[in-house]
Amino acid sequence: MPSGIRTPQLTRRDFVSKVVAGALLVPRWPGFVLPEAPQFPFEEILPEKSGIRWVHSNGKSPEKYLPETSGAGCAFLDYDNDGWMDIYLVNSGKCDFFTPNPPLRNALYKNNRDGTFTDVTEKAGAAAGGFGQGVAVADYDGDGFSDLYVTQYGRSILYHNNGDGTFSDVTEKAGVAAPGWASSAVWFDYDNDGRLDLFVGRFVDFSKELNKPCGIHDDGRHHYCIPKIYSPMPSWLFHNNGDGTFTDVSKESGIASHLGKVWGVVATDINNDGLIDLWVSNDTVANFLFVNRGKGKFEEIATTAGVAYSDAGRARSGMGVDSADFNDDGWMDLFVANLDREMFAIYKNNHDETFDDVALPTGIGKTTKFMSGWGLKFVDYDNDGDLDLFLANGNPDDLISSLHGEVTYEEPLMLFHNTGKSFQDVSAQSGPVFAMPMSSRGLALGDFDNDGAVDVLISVNNGAPVLLRNNAGRHNHWLGIHLRGAKSNPDAIGAVVTYQAGDLKRRRVKVGGGSYLSSHDPRMVLGLGKREKLEWLEVKWPMPGGTTERFTRLPINRYITIVEGQEKGK
Amino acid sequence: MFRYSGTAAVFVLFIGFLWSEPVISAQQAKVATAPGAGSGLSTDKALTLAEQGHCQESISALKRAMTGQIPPETRKKAGIVGLRCSLTLDNRDAALDFLRLLGKQFAGDPDVLFILVHAYSDLSTRMAQELGRTAPQSIPAHKLNAEALEMQGKWEPAQLEYEGMIEKEPDAPGIHFLLGRLLLSRPDAGPDAGERAKQEFLKELEVDPNNAGAHYVLGELARRDEKWDEAISRFSQAAKLDSQFAEAYLAWGACLVTVKRYEDAIPPLRVAERLTPGNPAIHHTLATALERSGHREEAEKEFAIHRSLDSATPMASAPPKPQ
Repeated sequence: MPSGIRTPQLTRRDFVSKVVAGALLVPRWPGFVLPEAPQFPFEEILPEKSGIRWVHSNGKSPEKYLPETSGAGCAFLDYDNDGWMDIYLVNSGKCDFFTPNPPLRNALYKNNRDGTFTDVTEKAGAAAGGFGQGVAVADYDGDGFSDLYVTQYGRSILYHNNGDGTFSDVTEKAGVAAPGWASSAVWFDYDNDGRLDLFVGRFVDFSKELNKPCGIHDDGRHHYCIPKIYSPMPSWLFHNNGDGTFTDVSKESGIASHLGKVWGVVATDINNDGLIDLWVSNDTVANFLFVNRGKGKFEEIATTAGVAYSDAGRARSGMGVDSADFNDDGWMDLFVANLDREMFAIYKNNHDETFDDVALPTGIGKTTKFMSGWGLKFVDYDNDGDLDLFLANGNPDDLISSLHGEVTYEEPLMLFHNTGKSFQDVSAQSGPVFAMPMSSRGLALGDFDNDGAVDVLISVNNGAPVLLRNNAGRHNHWLGIHLRGAKSNPDAIGAVVTYQAGDLKRRRVKVGGGSYLSSHDPRMVLGLGKREKLEWLEVKWPMPGGTTERFTRLPINRYITIVEGQEKGK
Repeated sequence: MFRYSGTAAVFVLFIGFLWSEPVISAQQAKVATAPGAGSGLSTDKALTLAEQGHCQESISALKRAMTGQIPPETRKKAGIVGLRCSLTLDNRDAALDFLRLLGKQFAGDPDVLFILVHAYSDLSTRMAQELGRTAPQSIPAHKLNAEALEMQGKWEPAQLEYEGMIEKEPDAPGIHFLLGRLLLSRPDAGPDAGERAKQEFLKELEVDPNNAGAHYVLGELARRDEKWDEAISRFSQAAKLDSQFAEAYLAWGACLVTVKRYEDAIPPLRVAERLTPGNPAIHHTLATALERSGHREEAEKEFAIHRSLDSATPMASAPPKPQ
């Protein structure tokens, strides 16, 4: 095993063997065997089992303040570096239009390594308390511990991880408060100096005073407004100075020149030039594709790239986004969820900074026509080596069905299996949870039980989060890798991983962020299908490292950590 | 499909002319005769007479008042009362004169627009009734009935109407098209509705090979099935048959863009642009075709037009609407 690779203290196999051994000691009813429940690809882990009893509150009011319907996000993170994914959940607390009593707070749940979680928020000191929206996790200062950036309507918060299970609010010192209505944020290294910078998406110009009543019914009930009536705002880009402070470079980078109504963002590389770009969704105005031209400058090219509008030239309600090479042609493609009757878009990269929306030929368009999407992520849930797609849905307007009979406020989750030619809707076969209408918002991916099958966490507006265990991934072989940059940025955002297992060759790019208001397990799980051996794996580290390291004789069906520069040529 | 979707007349369900004031009956109007009535009446006198039910005597004076130098409010009142009297007397020429004058002189006035909506609706209903009275078994009467049923969501009786017409006159132009359109609109038409509709459009073309609408819808069906060559052929045929059919040109160009024939897409899109210059979709598609065929400057102009149209879309400035 290469020296730069280490394994976690307790593997899923250890955990399972202990549980099985314990079960053998329990007396059973003689001659009475319960029929085995069918095992679906995804299984909901209920709060009584997981211990996650925290519930999101949106402060719903008769006035229907727009932020009530947009939150909130969630994250998988390993805050204590024990090799097990913990959970962070964002709540919508005090602000100018809402004073909850008792106060509301976010929640940090520590993974107990046995399928349960313990609320450690108070001890950790990461409760926030404002009207929270999203969360972006990364080790911005390279100390080996994951830090938290919590976006809020009002003022956002940077929590520095002290490495001892506690966090400190360093927002003021860092200079990243980003006042206004912040939505999704993402950490990425735009100038390739090895330090993670921060993009903070901003939604519309809003305050209690600016709130407008919309669509009033005879009985006085309001609809939530279409954001067209609120003014767009510039987003933020903060440069990491490497000393715990950041410089606002929104203007000189070109980011702030474009006014938007941002919901989702993902940091990706659309033209394979090693400079990380930003795919940003906007609600009711054209989306942004900020292409990184180097020297700290971004060019917004969404219109000419064909990703700003629908094919009919209409701005849609862009919500969650992601980027991945779903067709394995070596170029990063894009996805954006929209609102009902707009269809979601899946943009195939034409290799020349233009894209084609292939929602109809891939089957995504027809299936999502009446859906409204928020959190979403490309994920190889069954570890067959192809990137599938998980979508969390729900209409923002709780009275929508009074306007459009075919649309509902709560909507089911959706799972699409990548067949190589199209995306097949396999939701109906994937578990009872896919039949449950929900007001989903955030979606985070993370393997909380370390079995190599990527699990899913859904945050629900004004409801309890939904934790889903993936039962499908472990039926195939896999390798989980945790990349740690040394010269490159600590989270290795932008790293390119290529691997070969028998006839299967795949290339995966480690993107930053994606989904909606959410943050994900930093580890990458590489699906091998039934192939029992991984021939080789290459990691091309982002600049300023930039080297390519090749690994052979790697184990499978377990997690390994690869530290940049600690192993070469194997 | 926009130009060929047709307007279902209100035939089965009679919608009355809903005046906010009491309606004067035709009988009243005929019976009442005003003392000293004539064309030399003052506007005030004419209004009083009309309000008393003496429409016949007042209508000329009211029409004259619409072109006279009198205060706008009085003119507006004269127009509204005159329109009501014209309809009461079933004097359609006079009604159309009042409609034209009111529409022109009080453009954008919500009160006047409200009156015009109901007046046109009333005239439409009267024509429908006349068709039903004079030729109840004719194809146009059945067509109108079927369209009205469709509008009310009564799909099954509407379909039976179309099928009955086809049985009666298999070669009547337009009926297969309407039946195909119904099959595509009907929510409970079943999984084979698309194929059944397609067969109806093909039959329509056997009856009337020059039906541009049928070619267009067949193009849309082919586009939905990603049969790009067939879609391009259908749309181009529709455009050839109807040189003013902007949607056909747009769809033709959009399909060519989809199959990456950017240069070929420009001419039909240019025609679409000329026909409906305010359509943002045309400018966006044309800009994309120009950009991807290397005509960067022209593309930027089209993108700019698109941006300006997009930001000027009605919803951007409309009063708050629900999500």
